[in-house]
Amino acid sequence: MVYFINDIITGALIGLLYALVAMGFVVIYRASKVFNFAQGELVIIGGFIVWFTTMQAGLSLWLSIPLSLVLAGLVGYAIERTFLTKLIGESVFSMVMVTVGLLILLRGLVLLVFGPAVRPFPIIFPLKPLFVGDMLIPMNLLIGGIITIVAAVGLSWFFNRTRSGLRMTAVAEDHVVASSMGISVKGSIAFAWVLGAILSTIGAMIFLSGKSLTFLASDIGFAALPVALFAGLESIGGLILAGVIIGVAQSLTTNYLDPLIGGSLGSVVPYIIMLAILLIRPTGLFGWRTIERV
Amino acid sequence: MTYQTKRGLRGFLAAGAMAVAATMPLKAKAEEIYNLALLSDFSGPYADIMPILAGGREAVFTWWNETRGQDLGVTLNYKNYETRYDAAQVASLWPGIKSELDPIAVVGLGGPDVAALSERLPEDKIPMFMATAAYGFAWQPDAWIFNPRPTYSHESAGFLNWMREQRGGDEPFKVAILASEASPAYVDMAKGLELYAEEHPKEIDLVEVIYTEVQPTDLTGQMRRVVRAGAEALIIQTNTSIVVAAKRGLQANGANIPIMMSSHNGLPASGAALGGLEQLEGDFEAYGMAIAADEDTPARQFYETLVTEYGLEAPWNVVTAMGVSQGLYTVTVIQHAIEANGAEGLTGEKVREALFAQTITTEETHGFLPSLTFTPEAPFPLEGLKVNVGTVKNGKITIEATGVDIPEVKKW
Repeated sequence: MVYFINDIITGALIGLLYALVAMGFVVIYRASKVFNFAQGELVIIGGFIVWFTTMQAGLSLWLSIPLSLVLAGLVGYAIERTFLTKLIGESVFSMVMVTVGLLILLRGLVLLVFGPAVRPFPIIFPLKPLFVGDMLIPMNLLIGGIITIVAAVGLSWFFNRTRSGLRMTAVAEDHVVASSMGISVKGSIAFAWVLGAILSTIGAMIFLSGKSLTFLASDIGFAALPVALFAGLESIGGLILAGVIIGVAQSLTTNYLDPLIGGSLGSVVPYIIMLAILLIRPTGLFGWRTIERV
Repeated sequence: MTYQTKRGLRGFLAAGAMAVAATMPLKAKAEEIYNLALLSDFSGPYADIMPILAGGREAVFTWWNETRGQDLGVTLNYKNYETRYDAAQVASLWPGIKSELDPIAVVGLGGPDVAALSERLPEDKIPMFMATAAYGFAWQPDAWIFNPRPTYSHESAGFLNWMREQRGGDEPFKVAILASEASPAYVDMAKGLELYAEEHPKEIDLVEVIYTEVQPTDLTGQMRRVVRAGAEALIIQTNTSIVVAAKRGLQANGANIPIMMSSHNGLPASGAALGGLEQLEGDFEAYGMAIAADEDTPARQFYETLVTEYGLEAPWNVVTAMGVSQGLYTVTVIQHAIEANGAEGLTGEKVREALFAQTITTEETHGFLPSLTFTPEAPFPLEGLKVNVGTVKNGKITIEATGVDIPEVKKW
């Protein structure tokens, strides 16, 4: 029983990590209605920035972490200014296609700049797990889970309670209308990309702490996709619940079904849940239902 | 001496030199040029090891051309083709490679090359020589794709039998496999060992096969199951990221179960990804090829020759050894074909015939590979199979065992 509860807790924490990466999707979507297919690549860009500042530049974690977040924000800003600003007012589809191009471009850039070698990622969170009786909880996931919840609460408040957040929502509704109302569309979208890049970098730190870094790490973007779609692409708070549900389902499948069937059903389960919920409720659990009046 | 006298003297000396040259025995010159197509992955999942592996095999071709080739009147040209370790890319490149190079052999890299070309090469009558261990799904008679090593499952079975012997006792050796469904080759590695364990319950007790992603999020829970099941070894023949995640998972559980890695994800690569070889103290790499350790072996001596005389820049490690082994058995087979058929009119078909006709001795591969006797029954030698075992002791890779017998593994 203890192990079963432990598996649920670990699963929930892994789900919260997915939720944090998915937050990057949601923040950018809420500000621009653009689904960023390159979210996983933002995670590895963030990972490489952290690796560079710690392992290469030799900075202490106290210096390198804030510096990495600033640099990641600048990368997000640069991406938005270079590739997306010119598309403001154009169809959302064009912007989404740009993110598909970004996925390939960023992957190539990582290979070009950092090379293909597998690198040791710095140990940011203690490797020693937390023991609660017979239960064992990985520290990186535990701290990551707390960060995710704090980030979700903070961002929910920002988007729902502040003028800036509400402006970003207006931008997502219609660029031209928002612009005519005096809202800076460019500024809102740029801010969303900065935020998305920072969240991805935090995700990279939790995901990769003490492990290895290659461009394969970008796969976590796909792992986070079911969480984002399950929650509904507009709901930051919903990500927490969606992440926990998917993480627990995945953990239980991995630990109890996979050994029986001799396969990896655990890695497919999140997508099965996602498809099931989209069939029942296409907007996701907490996504907005758009009512159009003619 | 006048100008005319000088001219006359020069002319006389030149004529004399030409006369002397004409009477000297003719040294064989490289006259026949044959092409090799090298399939490489400089930008895909094996991009990190490719420059080293490519360096190893190319240095061997240079060495062969300058030593053996010159005497035989043959030069081997080669060209690398970027496949991104993608079967679709290999399949789309192949017609162009064939028309551009008309190669007598292909020097392959991994599973995607096998998947893409296994149906094409018999039609085109061009053999392909791999560097890696073989795959169960490619274990067919009348092959055109060859591996110098048996399947990964053969290698792990040999290692486990050796571990059991080292441990002593009659109880079966408890083992877990960590694999991934990301590649058919990874699944194949696990399936073969699963079958072997099923058929040899008194020797191997397979406690679990765990499938995970190629970059796992967390393996603490999975490693706890492995520890609880009492596993005595963990087999990981997939990639370095899984080794790192498994090691962290074991460390989190306070366990130190030895991990066996293969050549492509071996001790140096996984050690580097973990931040230091010392983290793999007591872990193993096992494969049917020379272990790149500090010991002075014939393989090490040949590597030094390649470095000092043929411009090899790759470090002495398992990946370089893989490239050199591949190059050596490829050129040896070609050399056998030339010796049997003459330098002219060499074809892929004749190269393949030479592979079956004559054993490639361990001396011919400078100890990089055991003696290899290929038969039409399988793409790899079925008899006399050996595996070597390396480990980390005091932060250094050392040879733990050589020439360990590989048991008979049934086809799966």
